[in-house]
Amino acid sequence: MNLHFPVFELPAEAQALRREVRAFIAAENRAGLWQRGGDFATHYDPAFSRRLGARGWLGMTWPRRYGGQERSMLERLVLSEELIAANAPIAAHWIADRQSGPLLLRYGSEAQRREFLPRIARGEIFFSIGMSEPDSGSDLASVRTRAVQVDGGWRIDGRKLWTSFAHLNHYAIVLARTGAAGESRHEGLSQFIVDLKAGDLEVRPIVNMAGQREFNEVVFTGSFVPDARLVGEPGNGWRQVTSELAYERSGPERYLSFIRLAEAALQCAGANPSPRLREALGRTSAKLIALRSMSIAVAALLQQGAMPNLEASLIKDLGTAFEREQIGVYRALRSELAPASAEYLSALAETTIYAPSWTLRGGTREILRGIVARGLGMR
Amino acid sequence: MTATLQPVLSADAMVRDAAGRAFDDLAADWFRSEATFPDDAARVRKRQALLNAVAALGFADALASPDAREAWVDAASILRAQARSAAPIDMALLLATGDRLASIAGDPSLYECAADAGLPGNAQAVLALALGRCLQICAALEAALDLSLQYVQDRRQFGRPLARFQAIQHSLAIAAEELAASTALTDLALACMVREGCASARLPGLLDAAALVLGHAIDVVYDASHQAHGAIGFTREYPLHRHSLNLLRWRDDLQRLRGGELRCAERLGDAALQAQGVWSAVTALMQPGDRHD
Ligand SMILES: Cc1cc2nc3c(=O)[nH]c(=O)nc-3n(C[C@H](O)[C@H](O)[C@H](O)COP(=O)(O)OP(=O)(O)OC[C@H]3O[C@@H](n4cnc5c(N)ncnc54)[C@H](O)[C@@H]3O)c2cc1C
Repeated sequence: MNLHFPVFELPAEAQALRREVRAFIAAENRAGLWQRGGDFATHYDPAFSRRLGARGWLGMTWPRRYGGQERSMLERLVLSEELIAANAPIAAHWIADRQSGPLLLRYGSEAQRREFLPRIARGEIFFSIGMSEPDSGSDLASVRTRAVQVDGGWRIDGRKLWTSFAHLNHYAIVLARTGAAGESRHEGLSQFIVDLKAGDLEVRPIVNMAGQREFNEVVFTGSFVPDARLVGEPGNGWRQVTSELAYERSGPERYLSFIRLAEAALQCAGANPSPRLREALGRTSAKLIALRSMSIAVAALLQQGAMPNLEASLIKDLGTAFEREQIGVYRALRSELAPASAEYLSALAETTIYAPSWTLRGGTREILRGIVARGLGMR
Repeated sequence: MTATLQPVLSADAMVRDAAGRAFDDLAADWFRSEATFPDDAARVRKRQALLNAVAALGFADALASPDAREAWVDAASILRAQARSAAPIDMALLLATGDRLASIAGDPSLYECAADAGLPGNAQAVLALALGRCLQICAALEAALDLSLQYVQDRRQFGRPLARFQAIQHSLAIAAEELAASTALTDLALACMVREGCASARLPGLLDAAALVLGHAIDVVYDASHQAHGAIGFTREYPLHRHSLNLLRWRDDLQRLRGGELRCAERLGDAALQAQGVWSAVTALMQPGDRHD
């Protein structure tokens, strides 16, 4: 079996950082700057993102000359998991910090790195992912948004769909067809940094099931993108887009989305905790330890320059399936609580309603299982 | 019960010493190469070698019968040779050696006594036994899955290999995910034992977690591997049954050594309650502790 999750210990700096982050969160909570709530991907607060930036906690693994701190992926993991476990409002900077920045670092031009990375690291600009379209979801290679070369740049026509926070973020990295698909269908794709505030594109709201405006439809009609905003090589888009996946799929947001519910149930344990609650808390902990250990392994492999896409997809499928199953576990325990708190009820309602998105966004369950199956040699 | 425990407490010092040294050698070797196992075969080889070494350490502590010593000496020499050689490991030989040790030490009364007695001098040997079982379970999960992956390539129905059917692909993918979680957790417990020794305060918690996660993985792999095999897997002549029966037996051993599946869950749950948070408890249990050497 070619699955590889070596054991890595978190270095002392990472442990020290954890204490620092916990103290920071406690201070933020004492000051009442935000409430627990929503979902990691929807809790949007630019001021919070800027406070993280001021501490050097955005783009923290990047080189100093681009505004980073040159810290390790393991430290970034510690920061992320503490923020997610605390339900902090990370949605504004999340995509830019997790994948757009690393993408530019890897494939962007020197000018792009200098222009965008320091501002991402300060929490000044936020990015969206422009991959999905009305007729291209799981089958991403079939995207029909087109970019045609014109004088000084590219003209984009087409529609992107489900573009989270396109109405609030500053830029989107858009995957578009620029040439023939070839036999693999992976050729002729390119990525562009699109200015969402440019005015020659339209951002239409789509209200989600929870009643929130999170995602959007982005319509391009002859929208102009200068040459300098092409990311990497024209035609190399598929390779570039898949390089984002290991960052996108292996992090704590893939197994901690429900944690608020478990913690809320724990807080309602009372003086004489029900054995069923104790059992559930123990089973939750056990699986979390395994998942977290795998996630640490992937972060360390990324740090070493590897591209553990298979391992990352595996973690996302296992982690999101676990998260969804956990909701049922803690729902069933309601009668065992002494008594159910408002926080438990709100955590239950919110995790339940967001749960379907966990196994869709970032690669659906079925697509991830297909990737694992290919890794096992079945496809 | 306590009567049969007598030999457990009179471990032969020489055997224990030799086992300890073998274990240390292998552990050091394992840690050197841990950050980047060169390839798959090396990873399996290390795990197998340690599996047997850990088992040997536990058994050496637990057994002093001439029979056991002889089995162990065989195991140790195979282990040393295998660990040093770059040649592909003879899995069958190692598994047979592990089986031989297990069949002596795996005498149910021993497990019961060890777990029931909770005698102070014995507690660490019980942990070593539990970890040995975790390692064996991971190896058997992998073997059952490998057999299934091969079988679905070979077996054709409706004009194509079973592996082409998405339902089969997904079912075995899920099984592989559970295997990956099991080995990650077992390796974590192993690293803890190697670094901090059997006296590590976190080893029992990690083994409780392993008893739960591996216990569930066995259900998933047992289901998926037999389902993929059809009737042939349900026979005594096809090898899948050996892995399956080992898995079921070893899970019983592992969970019994930890006092039962529910006790494992409740202990971890109590740790979360005490830490006033699942997340705090998880990070604490995963934080390396002091070395006890
Ligand atoms: C909350 C949320 C936020 C999102 N944000 C963004 C964003 O910011 N940017 C962006 O680009 N996209 C975003 N997405 C889109 C997301 O990436 C897609 O939903 C996902 O890729 C699936 O595409 P689809 O919705 O078109 O479903 P489809 O691809 O049509 O799939 C529908 C169902 O069929 C299954 N299916 C498809 N193909 C196969 C197959 N070969 N075998 C078996 N089953 C199959 C799928 O697994 C799924 O269950 C977001 C989605 C959600 C839910």
